[in-house]
Amino acid sequence: MNWIQHNWALLLPLVLGACGVWLMMPGARSIRPLGGLACLGALVLGFQLVAGSRDVSGSMFLVFASATLISAVLMITSRNPVYAALWFAVVTLGVCGLFLLQSAPFLAAATIIVYAGAIIVTFLFVIMLAQQAGTSSYDTSSRQPFCASVTAFTLLGLLLITFQSAAAQQTVDGARATEVAAANKALDVQMKVETLDIHKSSRPLPSEELGQMRGLGRSLFTDYLFAVEIGGTLLLIASIGAIALAPRRAQGTL
Amino acid sequence: MNGSIQPTLLVSAALFALGAIGFLTRRNLISVILSAEMMLHGVALAMVTFGKMHGNNEGQIFTIFILTVAACEAGLALALILSLYHRTKSLDMDLWSALREDDMPSPVGHDSSAGATQPDTHPVQPTLTPAGLPIDPKTPLTPQRPNREETATHV
Repeated sequence: MNWIQHNWALLLPLVLGACGVWLMMPGARSIRPLGGLACLGALVLGFQLVAGSRDVSGSMFLVFASATLISAVLMITSRNPVYAALWFAVVTLGVCGLFLLQSAPFLAAATIIVYAGAIIVTFLFVIMLAQQAGTSSYDTSSRQPFCASVTAFTLLGLLLITFQSAAAQQTVDGARATEVAAANKALDVQMKVETLDIHKSSRPLPSEELGQMRGLGRSLFTDYLFAVEIGGTLLLIASIGAIALAPRRAQGTL
Repeated sequence: MNGSIQPTLLVSAALFALGAIGFLTRRNLISVILSAEMMLHGVALAMVTFGKMHGNNEGQIFTIFILTVAACEAGLALALILSLYHRTKSLDMDLWSALREDDMPSPVGHDSSAGATQPDTHPVQPTLTPAGLPIDPKTPLTPQRPNREETATHV
């Protein structure tokens, strides 16, 4: 009970969010406006948890994060798979904005090209090929929405508690490190050199910024060259497999 | 617990949880795959954030590989969905619940007995021994499923 009183700021948005998603899920017991209000409340309360900065990047983070989360909820609760795919495109755009804020411009561009340009278009093709008669019966009901919401939000709570305790540990470690740093500076420098040597080319040079394409390419083609080869092979095999799995024209089109 | 969470990690964890809800509850095959892609988005966001916290490019490299695997997964999943649709003329996932093992309860709820076509029931299907049961060496490995019709009636 003491723990609940201590952590109510974490628990309240989780409970609200679980109830909201449960109410918004398609099914017999769905009350969509009420669920949407609960989800919005959970979002606002959840943003109180994090340390938001009041500058431009902080407000851009708020815009991108709320766009991402709102359209994620709308995606998993929408009754029409075409709308679900379009909301997923909005989720992708929001995630790309967050990538930009985390200094990953190349990844933002690549994700937009791969997801919004290729994957969602292919999904839309398949939906329109397979489901021409609008919403069907299996889209208007969901399987065990209450249990799934409770499970997923319990997982979310555990993740957040882990992140919180890790952040607390980090501040404690940071304070202790400044005390100890003077004592064993030589040892520390030696250890740092050793850890740097493992993946040396993944660390940006002093003249580079984090996430610059030059540094990314150097890391990709030195430290991770073998993985790049395997990734290329995987793409080749997946395309062969997709062609082999898809129904033949001789078997009749859809 | 005074440490405050990195804001982007909160978003990534929430994306993962929401994608898990969609993956577990939706009955349309395409919605399920889209939810799985959203869980991958959450993981990618966490990777990029961790990479920035450590000040090196490895998180972004991992995300590039996640992107590769996601592209492969989408292609294969759509090919699979098309061939499943070819059999049942429906995107309902519950039509395939007869693929479970014989001793498992039916995952289909009461309200979901919608009037859709049944999948092709092949008369002779290869069967596996249910997990945990000892094999009797005298019985031949012939396709025998005595309660097959009873367990799959309300699909």
